[in-house]
Amino acid sequence: MIWKTLYSRLKASLIVMIGISILIFAVARVMPGDPARIALGANASAEQVAALRADRHLDDPLPLQYWEFVKALSHGDLGKSLFTNRPVSTDIAQFLPATLELVVVSGLIMALLGLPIGAISAHFRGRAIDQIGRLVALLGVCTPAFVWGVILQLLLGYFWPIFPIQGRLMDATPVPPTVTGFYLLDSLIAGEPGTFLDALHHLILPAVALALGGMGQVARLTRSNMIEVYGKPYVEMAEAYGFRPWRIVSRYAFVPAFIPTLTILGLEFAALLGNAFLVEKVFGWPGLSRYGVDVILRKDLDAIVGTVLIIAAAFLIMNIVVDLLVTLINPRIRLSSRRD
Amino acid sequence: MKFKASLLASAVLTVSPFLLATQSHAERVLRLDESPVGEIDPAKATDYADTVLMQNLYDTLVEPKKGGPGVDPLLASEWAADGTAYTFKLRPDVKFHSGNPLTADDVVFSLNRMIAMGQGFSNLFAGRVEKAEAVDPHTVKFTLASPYAPFVAALARLPIVDSKEVMARKADGKYGEFGDYGEAWLSAHDAGSGAYTVESQNPQTETVMGKFSGYFLPFAENAPDKVHYRYGVEAPTVRALMSRGEHEISDLWLPPEVIRAMAAEPGMKLLQEAGATGEYIKLNTARAPLDDVHCRRALSYAFDYGNTLKILKINDTISQGIPMKGPLPSGLVGYDPSLPDITQDMAKAKEELAQCKYDPKSSPLDIAWIAEVPARERIALLMQAAFSQLGFPVNVIKTPWVLVSDQVTKPETAPHAVEIAVAAVAPDPDSLLYNMYSSKVPPTWMSAEHLKDDKVDELLEAGRSEADPAKREAIYKELNVRLRDLAPTIYAYEFTGVFVARDAVAVPTLEDPAQRTLDNFNLVFRTMSVAD
Amino acid sequence: MDRSLPLARLFRLASSKAWATFFANPLSVLGLIIVLVILVLSVFAGVLTPYPEHVGPVGDFSAMNAPPDGAYWFGTDTMGRDLLTRIVYGYQLALIMAAVVLSIATPVGVVVGLVAGYKGGWVDYALMRITDIFLAVPPLVLAMAIMGFLQPTLMNGMLAITAMWWPWYARLVYNVTRAETQEGYVLAAETVGASTAHIVFREILPNCMPSIVTKMTLDVGFVILMASSLSFLGLGVQPPTPDLGSMVAEGAKYMPSSWWLTVWPAVAILVVVLGFNLLGDGLREAFEAEG
Repeated sequence: MIWKTLYSRLKASLIVMIGISILIFAVARVMPGDPARIALGANASAEQVAALRADRHLDDPLPLQYWEFVKALSHGDLGKSLFTNRPVSTDIAQFLPATLELVVVSGLIMALLGLPIGAISAHFRGRAIDQIGRLVALLGVCTPAFVWGVILQLLLGYFWPIFPIQGRLMDATPVPPTVTGFYLLDSLIAGEPGTFLDALHHLILPAVALALGGMGQVARLTRSNMIEVYGKPYVEMAEAYGFRPWRIVSRYAFVPAFIPTLTILGLEFAALLGNAFLVEKVFGWPGLSRYGVDVILRKDLDAIVGTVLIIAAAFLIMNIVVDLLVTLINPRIRLSSRRD
Repeated sequence: MKFKASLLASAVLTVSPFLLATQSHAERVLRLDESPVGEIDPAKATDYADTVLMQNLYDTLVEPKKGGPGVDPLLASEWAADGTAYTFKLRPDVKFHSGNPLTADDVVFSLNRMIAMGQGFSNLFAGRVEKAEAVDPHTVKFTLASPYAPFVAALARLPIVDSKEVMARKADGKYGEFGDYGEAWLSAHDAGSGAYTVESQNPQTETVMGKFSGYFLPFAENAPDKVHYRYGVEAPTVRALMSRGEHEISDLWLPPEVIRAMAAEPGMKLLQEAGATGEYIKLNTARAPLDDVHCRRALSYAFDYGNTLKILKINDTISQGIPMKGPLPSGLVGYDPSLPDITQDMAKAKEELAQCKYDPKSSPLDIAWIAEVPARERIALLMQAAFSQLGFPVNVIKTPWVLVSDQVTKPETAPHAVEIAVAAVAPDPDSLLYNMYSSKVPPTWMSAEHLKDDKVDELLEAGRSEADPAKREAIYKELNVRLRDLAPTIYAYEFTGVFVARDAVAVPTLEDPAQRTLDNFNLVFRTMSVAD
Repeated sequence: MDRSLPLARLFRLASSKAWATFFANPLSVLGLIIVLVILVLSVFAGVLTPYPEHVGPVGDFSAMNAPPDGAYWFGTDTMGRDLLTRIVYGYQLALIMAAVVLSIATPVGVVVGLVAGYKGGWVDYALMRITDIFLAVPPLVLAMAIMGFLQPTLMNGMLAITAMWWPWYARLVYNVTRAETQEGYVLAAETVGASTAHIVFREILPNCMPSIVTKMTLDVGFVILMASSLSFLGLGVQPPTPDLGSMVAEGAKYMPSSWWLTVWPAVAILVVVLGFNLLGDGLREAFEAEG
C-alpha cells in the first residue's frame, strides 16, 4: 500500500519537475539582459557576443532550445555555466552540500525549538509562560534571517567573540576528504574530531539565524493547533478521566495538532534552501542559495535552470516525506485521492 | 540523551578555537576582501579583485610606475620601439610555478589567447597588434597595425601564462588545436610566474594563495605565507572580523561612517589609494532630453558637488573623494590642476535650461544607482533632489551592477543618468578616455554616454597615434576642456580608495607615496609585512 | 455547528458574547489598539509626522546619520532624514502592500485548497501539481521573472509577492480539508444530500478559518519582510519611498555604531506584526466562543 502511494507521489513529482523546468526555462529567457553580454563582460565585441549566443543556441526558438536542454539532460548534462565556465553539475556539486548541511541543521533547530515552545505555550495558555513563549516565537518570525545573522554576529562574534563568523572551517583547519560534502560527516568518517567540532562551531550561528524565523512559525502553529485540539471532546474526556497532563499532551493533543504543523515544517525546511542566501552572504557560507542568486543576477541560463531544478527537487522530496509521515501518523488520510 | 550530547559538544566548542589558534601561529596569514567575483583567468580579468589577483599570481612585461605616471620594467629588461614595431628583451631568470622557464613563446601564446577569447582586456590589443613573434627565447617582437602610443602601457594588462602547462591541461573546445585554451582549468588554477600561487579557488567566496618560493624578486622579510582573498563580505562582518584580528585589510566600499567608526578602534589605521579613477555620472546623450547639450549642461550645473564631497568625508584629512576638473582624474597625463573646480550654480543651470529645446516638466529622467555600493544611493538621491528643483520629474531605480552593465550598452535602455566608476585600465589617459568617448568603440558600460562628437573623436585618434609626450599632453588637455564643455558626463568626484587595515600589517605601496602607483595596482602581497 | 459563511460570522462578532470574549483578553485589546494606532498614523502621516518633507530624497545635511536627540527623536539616516517620519510613512506603504497581497492571495489559495481537497480525483491532481510548481520554484526567481516582464514598480512588486503567496494557503487548506472530509459531520452532510458548495464553504471552510486567520495575521509581517528582500535586490519599492524592510537591510551595513538606522525600523516591524497577531488571536477566540 505504502509503496503504491510512494510510487504515485514520485510520478506526480516528475510531472511537477517537468512543469517547473518548462516554466523556469521560459522565465529565465525573458528576464532582462543579454546573458552572452553579461557572461563575456563589458569589453567583448558585438561579434563575440553573437558568437556565444549562436554557440549556446540562444537565438533559436524557445521550444527548440528546450528540446536541446532535454536531450542534454537525458545524458545527465545540465549544461555549462556561462559565468564559471564549468559544467553546472560541477558547480552544484561544489555548493549544494554546504547549503544542505546548513539547512538540515537549521531544520532540526527549527523543529526542536519550535515544537516544544508551541506545545508548552498551548499547555499553559493564557499564563505568563505562554506569553513568553509567544513573544519568543514572534521575535523569531518578524525579524528577517539576515538581521538575526547580523545580531548574532555582533553579540557572539564581536562584543563577546566566542563563535567564528566567517566560512565553514578555521583557515588553519584542513578540509576533510570529501565523501558526502557535509563537513560534519566527512570529518567523522576521516576520524578527525577536531575538524568536526570546528565545523559544528562554524555552523551554529548561521544555522540559528536561519532557523529562528521558521521556529517562530512552527511554534505559533503548534500552539494554535494544540489549543484547538484541547477543545475537542476526546481530550476533554481524557482530562475528565484524570490522565496526567504530560500524557494528554503527548498522546492526545500533540499528535493531531502536529499534522498541519508538519506540513508547514516541511515547506519551511524546503524554502530554506532557496532563502538562505542572505544568511550565506553574511556568514561567508559557500552555498548553493547564494550561487542561485548570483546566477539569477548574471542571467546565467543553464545555471539558473539547474539550481532551480535542484532546489525544486529537494522541495518535492520533502513534500513526499511529509505526506508519508502524515499518513503514518493519521492513517485515516489516504495518500491517493479518496474518490478514485 | 540528545540534550546531554549537545551540552557536551558546546562545552568542547568553547575550548576549540583556542586549540586551533595555536596551530595557525606558525604561518603568516594575510586576509583581505573585495566584491565578488574573483576571476583568476588572465584572459577574463577586468575588475578590481581580478587586477589584484593578476598582479600577485602572474607577471606582466611592464608594471605601472611607482610614484608617478608611466611604466617600469618587470619581466622585460628593456625595450625599443621602431615605428609600429616593438621589441622586448625578457629577463632570463624567471620561472613559472610549474618550473618551466618563462620565454618569448609564452608571451606570444598569452597575447594570442587573450585576443582569441575576446574577453577581459582583449580590446586593448585586438585589432591593434598585427602579430607577435618570438625572435629568440628571450626576445619578443610585436608589430602593430597602426601607430598606438599607449601600447607599452597596455602591456601592464597582459599577464603571461605558462603555455606548456596550459596546453597540457587543455580540454576540448572551439579554438582548434588549442582546444579550450585551458579555459576550464584556468578557472580554478593558475599557470603564472607570480609571487603567489593559487591553493584553492571559489570565485564567489575566496581565493587562497600560497607563497611561491621560486619567485625572481625578493619578498619582504615578514611577507605573508598565505593569503585569503575573500569576496562579498558584508560590512558588519568585515568590522567584526577585523576587531577580532581575523582580517587584515578591508575592501574599498565601506561607507564613510563605518570607516570612521573602525578607525577609532585600537590597532587600526587607514590606507589611501588615489589617482586614475573618476566617479562619472553618465548622461545618456542619445535619449531626449539629454540629446540637447543645454539640458546636459543644466544638469551639470545643478548637481550638488558640495554635499557629495561632504558625504564622502571620513575625517579632516581623509575622504573617499576629491573634486574633479573634467574627465581626466589626477595621476594621468593631461590632467590640468590649473582648471577651476566644477561647482554647483543653480542660476547658470536655469539659464542653460531656458535654452534647452525640451520642457523639463514633460521630460522625466530615469536615474539608476548601482545596488552594490551604498554610497551611490546617496549620490542618486542628491541628483534627484537637484534635478527636481529644475522641474524634471525624476525616477530613481536601484539596479544590480550586472543589469546596469547590460542596460547601458543600448541607447534605448540606458538610463538618463547613472553613476559609474571608471578607472584607467593602463597607466595612460587613452585607456580611460578612448573607451568612454570614442564613437568607434562598441558601446559598453564605460561609454554609457553614447557620445558622438567629431572633435572628440579626432582628438582621441590624435592622442593615440602621437608619439611625442609633450604634444600628447597638449592634446589631452584640449580634450579635457572640450569634454567639460560638451557635458556628456557629470564629473562628480575623483574616487580615492580608503582601506581600513590592522596595524599588524605594513603595506609600503600604500603607506609610502614614493612607492604608490595607480589605483588597483597597490596590493602587492610580497612587499607587505604581517607582524606576529 | 455554525452554518453561516465565514465572512458573515466576522460581522456577527457584534454579538455581545463575542465582544465580551474579545475584550476580556487584555492582549487582544492591546493588539486592537496597536493596529488602530498604526492605521491612524498611516492615514494622517502628513499631519502627524514632524518632518513630512523628509519622505523625499534628501533631508538635513547638517545632521546626517545623527543619533536620536530632541530634534530627531529616532535619529536621522545617512541622508539627514528623520527616521521617525520615514517609519510612519513606511507603515503606510507596508499596510497597503500587505492588504493588497493578502486580499488576492488568500481567496485564490483557499478556493484552490478547498476544491482540490474535497473534490479529489483529477481536479485534486491538477490543482495540487500547479500549486506544487509555484511552491517549488524559489520565490526570488518567480519575483525576478515577473519584474522582468514588467517594470520594477510597487504594483508589480505586489503582484510578484502575490504569485508566490497563494500556494501556501492552498497547501494549508488542502491538508485541513482532507482531514476534515473524513469527519462525521461532513459525511453526515453528504448523506443528507447537501450540495458541494454547501459542504465546502459552510461545513469545511469554517473549520479551516482558525488556521487561515492565524496565518494571515502572521503573514502581514511576512509580506513586509518579503517586500524588503525584493527591494534589497533592486525590485519593488524604489527610493526615496520609505520601506521598513529596506531600511533594516540598508541600516545593517552601519551596525553597530549607527544602531538607530536598523533598530527602529526593526522594532517598527516587530510592533506591527505583534499587533496583528494579537488581534488575530483575539478574533479567533471570539469566533470559537460564539460557535
